[in-house]
This record gives sequence, C-alpha cells and structure tokens, in this order.
Amino acid sequence: MSHVNATTFAIVVVLFLVVTGVGFAAARWRRTEDMLHLNEWGLGGRGFGAFVTWFLLGGDLYTAYTFIAVPALVFGSGAIGFYAVSYTIMVFPIVIIFLPRLWSVSRVHNYITPADFIRGRYGSRGLALSAAFTGILALMPYIALQLVGIQAVLTVMGVGTSSSNTFVKDLPLFIAFVVLAIFTYVSGLRAPALIAFVKDTLVYLMVIVAVLYIPTRLGGWGHIFGVAQTHFASINPATKKPYGTFIPTSKSIGSTRLDFATLALGSALALFIYPHSITGTLASKRRSVVKRNMAFLPLYSVLLALIALFGYMAVADKTTVANIKKAGGNSQLAVPYLFQHMFPSWFTGIAFSGIIIGALVPAAIMSISAANLFSRNIFREFFKPDASPALETRVSRWASLVVKLGALYFAVELPHTFAINLQLLGGVWILQVFPMLVGGLFTRWFDRWALLTGWLAGMVFGTLAAYKSASPTASHWASSSDIEFGHTVYIGFTAVLINVIIAVILTVILRAAKVPQGADETLPHQYTADPADAPVPARAGVSFGAASAAGD
Amino acid sequence: MSQPPDSSLDRPESSGQAGTRWAPIAAHPVTSAVIAVLIIASIFFSLYVPIYGRITPKIGDFPFFYFYLLVYMPAVSIALLTVIALQKRLRPPAGAGPDVSEVTE
Repeated sequence: MSHVNATTFAIVVVLFLVVTGVGFAAARWRRTEDMLHLNEWGLGGRGFGAFVTWFLLGGDLYTAYTFIAVPALVFGSGAIGFYAVSYTIMVFPIVIIFLPRLWSVSRVHNYITPADFIRGRYGSRGLALSAAFTGILALMPYIALQLVGIQAVLTVMGVGTSSSNTFVKDLPLFIAFVVLAIFTYVSGLRAPALIAFVKDTLVYLMVIVAVLYIPTRLGGWGHIFGVAQTHFASINPATKKPYGTFIPTSKSIGSTRLDFATLALGSALALFIYPHSITGTLASKRRSVVKRNMAFLPLYSVLLALIALFGYMAVADKTTVANIKKAGGNSQLAVPYLFQHMFPSWFTGIAFSGIIIGALVPAAIMSISAANLFSRNIFREFFKPDASPALETRVSRWASLVVKLGALYFAVELPHTFAINLQLLGGVWILQVFPMLVGGLFTRWFDRWALLTGWLAGMVFGTLAAYKSASPTASHWASSSDIEFGHTVYIGFTAVLINVIIAVILTVILRAAKVPQGADETLPHQYTADPADAPVPARAGVSFGAASAAGD
Repeated sequence: MSQPPDSSLDRPESSGQAGTRWAPIAAHPVTSAVIAVLIIASIFFSLYVPIYGRITPKIGDFPFFYFYLLVYMPAVSIALLTVIALQKRLRPPAGAGPDVSEVTE
C-alpha cells in the first residue's frame, strides 16, 4: 500500500493543476460588469446554451461518488445496483413534464433557488424554509461523499495512507479541498461549468477504453457475467443467504423487482428536486435548452450503465477481489483497484484524474446551491430582508465555504458509513419536497399548512424507518429499503406517499374550513413563458441605490 | 406584438389555470395524445421490471436484463426528441405570444 506509482501520481498532479488553472480562468469566461449578483455568481449569468448545459448537468448529476458507489453496490449485491441505471433512464421522461415549467416561472420571477419558487407560489416563508432546510441537509453529506470518492482513489494510489496522523493522511484531500473552495469562491458556477468539459473528456475516455479493453483481459463478457451469476447465487457464510442477486426476482429473498422499481422511481423523482440539479437547470438560457437536454442527457446514462458493469468486472478479477478483501472488504475500492490492476500506470493516472476531477464539479455546484439556499431563503428572508444583491452574493460565497468545511469534517472525521447513510437519507429527505415543488408547478390547490404537515410526516417517517432498518451485519441504517405489507419497498417512496396522502387530506379539511391561503405571485401563463432576456437583476423593493449603499 | 388568435395565454386573469393549460391541447388532440403516450411509455417500460428482469434471451454475451437497459437509453432519447418536436406544434410560433412581451414589459 505504501508504494506510490510515480507515473500515475505525476499524471494526476498535472491534470489537477490544469483543472485548477481552468477553475480560476473561468472567472473571466462570459464576464459581465456586475459579478456581485447571484444570477452571475450562483447561476453563471443564466446564459448557458444547450451544449454547455449538457456538460454542466452531466457533470452535476453523474458524480464521482456515483462512479465509485454504483459499481461498489453492483460488486457487493449484484443487480440491485442497476437500479441507478434504470432510474437515470426514467428520470428524463419524468422531469420533462415539470422542469420546463420550473425554468419558465423562475426566469420570469428571477427565482434562484427552488425555495424561492415555493415562497412565491404559496406566499409562505415557513414552507420555503422547510424546502431550504431540507435542501441544505441533503446536500451536505452528498458533498462529503464526493470527498469520500476522492479518498477512495487516493487510498488505492497509496498516497498518504501510511501515516496514522489524520492531518498527514488526508493532506492530499485538504489540498484538493482548498483549491476547490477557492475557485468556487472566485468564479462561482462558471468554474464547474468549464471544468465539466475536462471531466467529461477524461471520464468518456476512461469508460470507453475500460469497456473495450478490460473484458479482453478477463476472458470476455460471457465469462464476466458467468462468474458474477455464480458468485451472487452462492451462499455467504456470514449471513446464510446468497451474496446477492443477478437478476431482480419476484421472490421475497434478495433484491426484488418491487424494491428495484421503487428505488428507481423514488430516486428519479428525487433527482431534480435536489437543489444542485435545479441550479444547473436554471443556469440555461432558454426553455428549449432545458427540454433538449432532457433528450440528450440519457446518453450519459449509457456511460453510467457501463460504469455499473465495472462492478461485475471487479467480481471476475481475482486480484481485485483479493485486494478488496485485504483492505477490509471495502467495496468502494472496487473500481480504483480494478483500474490499477488492469491498466498501465499512465492510463490509471488518467482514469483516477477523471474520478477526482469528477468529484470537484458536483461538489462545487452543490456547495453553490446550498449557499444560495442559505443566503436567499434563510439569511435574507429571516435576518436581513433589505439585503442587496451584492450582499446576498457575498453571503453566498462565504456560505459555500462553510458548507464545504462541514462536508470536509464529515469526510475526514466521521466514519464513511455515516456519510453514506446520510446520503441515502438525503434522498429520502429531498423527496419530501416533491409534493410542494412539483405540485406547486401544476396547481395551487394544496394548502401550505397541509404541505408543511405532510413534509414533516414524511421526514420523520423516512428517518425513523431508515434508522430501524437492520441487517445481519448492522443493527441500524442497514438499507434504504424496508418491508411494507410484506414487500420490500424503498423508504423514500413510502415516505413521500405518506406525505402526499396527508397533504391531500389536510388540504380538503383546511379548504372546507376556509383557512386563508397565502398570496400567489405567479400567473398561469408564466409557467410556459420563454423570455429571451435574463430577468431584471433587482427584485421589487431593492433599488440600485440601496444595493450600492449596502455594498459594504 | 401580435397576439395568437386562438390562445388564452394572453388573458391570464380571465381564464384561470386550467383554461391556459388545456387550450393548446384541445386544439391538437392527436398530437397531444401521441406526446402523452410517448412519455408514459418511456417511463413504464423502465419502471415495470417484469418485462426485462430476465436472463434470456441472451444477446451476444449479455443477459437480456443488461442488454435491455443499455439499449433503452438511446430509445428514450429518440422518444423525447420526438416529444419536443411535437410540442412545437402545440404552441404559437416563438416570439409571437405574450411570452416575450411579458418580461420586457
């Protein structure tokens, strides 16, 4: 483990330096006069075309952690890991229904965060706060997992792992983190948008080469699938159950079809409720750009499907299996070990750089989104209602640093299982915003208090159900699925059903009781509007005079 | 700015949300139905696992389950591109409606 391959290391360092340069140069890309506005720092000027948006959203949604975790799940449990493939397919026909509407109404009203929309639609600060709170809560562990992804690669490279001192051990991670923090602070969303080009080039190269080359070393696809099928059918002596499933079944053991389908559907519904996905969407310049991206982003899912298959390649490669066993059975290391064993060291360097840089892009966007939620929907809403756009931007910049520091703490100080559990919970949590956000895009029928109660019920149920889920090897947080009425179902899915049912029942009651509704500042035709120009920078009540006066 | 003659988009207060949303669909029922079918089918054929949760028939070395998921993605891309093309027929030409006038004030 202490051997650091000089070629691999040198290539990773060089590519990292290139990306650092790109990150800082991004501040000048499409530069405008007034950078101190959240439309600029937080949304890159809201002017990205179809091409840039494709890279930005691709870099945003298909995170480095995905590259590590999906094959790790496939390596550990088999077919259930392919739920990620199924979900990244069905997500696009689902979101093409509502995402263009969110883009339009946000463009007209200059909404920067999803909570801005909820505030405007329901006239409820409390409901917007619940959305902002959930968003930040769900993003923090997600950012932490990007750092965990970097750590997995660094571990296999043998960098820093020989020391027992936390600081020395994680020094490379600290360096990557500091660079990420500074270029995000300086360049805002422009940095990840530009770096996404580098990331995708590397990732596509890595995947295409791996898919064509590795099977030839492992005796072909037939052999890989054969080994996997045999392995997952065999009995694990620790649990007395099969290691996993090769194809989702209708039987109650292992991963069932219903579990697979609800995991996929729940995750698909959640993906574009995550604030970082919405940030990427709102940064595009026209409604048609959003739509066309929904049609072209599935091409990324092909990539994800191939990456998931790396999990089976790792199962079929005896050296990788042995290395993972030596590393304490950490299946997160499956892909890094597989690459290290299969590729010459220079190409391993390129592949590892792809994963590391692939972590920086989403981490930057996520921290920007979380920071915007804080500055818009907490700081401005509750502490400084007259905050100027410049002050908002400043608060966002600092908040992005704080969010990342929190994530770093997660990644370094807490056990990784904690971050992973929290991220699974994050998916369950963010799904609870679905009824108020997507419901609000189509109807004003729902009552704000009913939505708030439904949200709370979903959050509590989801958290408790995830906490209680046990397995032979873990007493809590064992899985993101549990058993409802005799079927294994994704917890987030059950939670959001409870959420919706409560919201509907309470709305009927509250409407019958004639409880006053908040003011709705949106108009029906604004949901299909396609304004070419970016919205007027200052919102109502904030004049430019106030903006410059509060500037410092 | 000429207003589209048959659209309620320009009278947001009078028609309410339902009218605004359903007007273009009522004008093009067949196109709208095709769009709905394409979207629902795209979701259904990945959601309903029994269709593809099988090992056989194998395509080359790939069990059916894995082959299906790989091939499904380009299929969804094509379906959604068709949807977008069809949706253009539902709306008045870009720039003609209140879509633009409304933010430029």
